[in-house]
Amino acid sequence: MFTRGALLYIGQRLVLIVFTAVAVSSIVFLGVHRLPGDALLNERRPDPAAEAALLHYYHLDLPLPEQYVRYVTGLLHGDLGESYVNRGVQITPLLLREARVSAEVGAAALVFTIGLGVLLGVIAAVRQNTWVDYLATTTSIIGYSMPNFVIASLLFLLFGVALYNWTGGALFYNSGWTGSYGTLDQILVPGFALGFPYASIVARLTRASMLEVIRQDYVRTARAKGLTSRVVIVRHALRNALIPVVTILGPLVIGIVTGSVVIENIFGIPGLGKEFAASILNRDYNIVIGLFTFYAIIIALANLLVDLLYTVIDPRIRY
Amino acid sequence: MTQPALQVKDLKTQFFTDDGVVQAVDGVSFDLHPGETLGIVGESGCGKSVTALSILRLVQEPGRIVNGQILFRGDDIVTMSDEEVREIRGKDIAMIFQDPLSSLNPVLTVGFQIEEAIEAHRKVPSKMALSRAVELLKQVRIPAAESRVHDYPHQFSGGMRQRAMIAMGLANSPSILIADEPTTALDVTVQAQILELLRDLNQDLNTAIILITHNMGVVASLCTRVLVMYAGRVVEEGPVERIFKEPQHPYTWSLLQSIPRLDSDRHDRLLSIEGFPPDLIRPPHGCRFNPRCQFKIDRCLHDDPPLMNVGPDQDAACWVTMRRALAPNGERRG
Ligand SMILES: Nc1ncnc2c1ncn2[C@@H]1O[C@H](COP(=O)(O)OP(=O)(O)OP(=O)(O)O)[C@@H](O)[C@H]1O
Ligand SMILES: [Mg+2]
Repeated sequence: MFTRGALLYIGQRLVLIVFTAVAVSSIVFLGVHRLPGDALLNERRPDPAAEAALLHYYHLDLPLPEQYVRYVTGLLHGDLGESYVNRGVQITPLLLREARVSAEVGAAALVFTIGLGVLLGVIAAVRQNTWVDYLATTTSIIGYSMPNFVIASLLFLLFGVALYNWTGGALFYNSGWTGSYGTLDQILVPGFALGFPYASIVARLTRASMLEVIRQDYVRTARAKGLTSRVVIVRHALRNALIPVVTILGPLVIGIVTGSVVIENIFGIPGLGKEFAASILNRDYNIVIGLFTFYAIIIALANLLVDLLYTVIDPRIRY
Repeated sequence: MTQPALQVKDLKTQFFTDDGVVQAVDGVSFDLHPGETLGIVGESGCGKSVTALSILRLVQEPGRIVNGQILFRGDDIVTMSDEEVREIRGKDIAMIFQDPLSSLNPVLTVGFQIEEAIEAHRKVPSKMALSRAVELLKQVRIPAAESRVHDYPHQFSGGMRQRAMIAMGLANSPSILIADEPTTALDVTVQAQILELLRDLNQDLNTAIILITHNMGVVASLCTRVLVMYAGRVVEEGPVERIFKEPQHPYTWSLLQSIPRLDSDRHDRLLSIEGFPPDLIRPPHGCRFNPRCQFKIDRCLHDDPPLMNVGPDQDAACWVTMRRALAPNGERRG
């Protein structure tokens, strides 16, 4: 499927991602270490000897450049160090487990974003200026004028409280995740809150793009061939209309990643986003640095995927 | 004469725009006989493309066919169900367009686009559709068709794209091929090749062709009959030799006057007729050509001339035919 040129390109991008990861973690590392106080401020130790032992344990007694070299060496081996707050907890496996949780919700959000967004956009375009169009357009205006935490709170009220009261507690949204796999509703409800604003953006873009593409000569050619309108819309119009949609997929993924910090905290989902807030509040700096690095890698990989998706959807683009 | 392959009767197609109703096609009638090559000529904006699109009911919003009949094998395309029209499109009546680059889908291979033209009307195994696509590409003289069939449109040259479009049009051996300015976007040598290809198809497969063009030279080289359109109307119709030798409508006469002597010039828009085509929202009273006509008389200003027989198999819509206009001063005899 990929030519040699494309493989070379992917290789280059992967190398670049490693550099990005190191650069991001370096900036955060230096930034964090410039903050006043030290990382163990929360656990004021009465005994200076014990505190010194702790500082030694975390190599915080070494000069900064030396700490930095240790950190980067660990990073390049995939080792993000140990939590300051919970001694003995290795950060890399912790984040990997939480990433899986976040991925469940993030994937649901992405499905809503793309699936719902494209569907609304296409329907609105095909039925332009009918009530179907107005309904779809209004829905998407609601979507992008409401921040995700407002949507989340409303959903919480609806599924967690109203549904509980209405069904007498038989059926309701249970927010507490246990373990790293959520139930379907535990994934879908926050996924919707996270994805809906972006679905609205996708819907708006798809609609505009479809309306433009539908007027193209090749769509007329497709109709002149005697293809059914479904084939004309899906195969000829939509495929081309999705090209600009793929363009915003990169920023959308970033939006979903950052949005998950808010959503996971509202819904109590034990993923990266919840960890992100917790680690900052706890001054668990190793986790903070690790998370930033992790996010940088995820976003860089998402952008690489989007760029590769381009070549699949538009054969005129070759690397 | 044989039964016409296609009969257009008093076709009116209008665009309902914010500025008013554009009377793009206003009462066009003509017959197309099996195996015939009919040219439709006229300046830009006179309704040639809208006429062609109307035949396959491809006119887009805000356009609508508001009157007339389009009889194909005894059935009226205007009143058919969508599914019935779909079955005719590309199978019995195929259409190719002016700009072959924008008319091909950039994200699908040329071969695929030909295959789907076949599969839209017949259930065939995909292997067979592919080999038929290759065969069609060979028929329109694409070199190395076996490998080029997998190319995307951007990998083809302009002439090859138009050939591919023609191949697509021929996929189901239609009895009628409508070609809307098939050579305008191409350069001169390629133009000649495409015209030759169309001529061969007409002769070998007996496909009736409606050829739309600005270019009288193109008409002369390919068509047997010609329809001259002006401002949404047919102003003259007849066999090519008659029209070229003895045009009877002043507009046709001006068109012929404005042919560049070397009839191969590229994009020879017919700019040498004075004035501009009329506004089709508020067309002039009387004969629509009167504001630009050198020979007009009072009657032309308020009375709209119908198509009248002016010679063997030749009709013109004019109160002052060229025969009468030119005879007195002896420039030309009719
Ligand atoms: N979508 C549309 N909306 C409004 N008016 C239109 C539309 N499409 C065509 N028209 C009008 O219909 C008239 C006929 O257009 P048409 O495309 O048939 O001209 P044409 O003879 O094919 O010209 P050309 O040689 O430039 O292709 C023009 O006056 C044009 O302004
Ligand atoms: Mg045209």
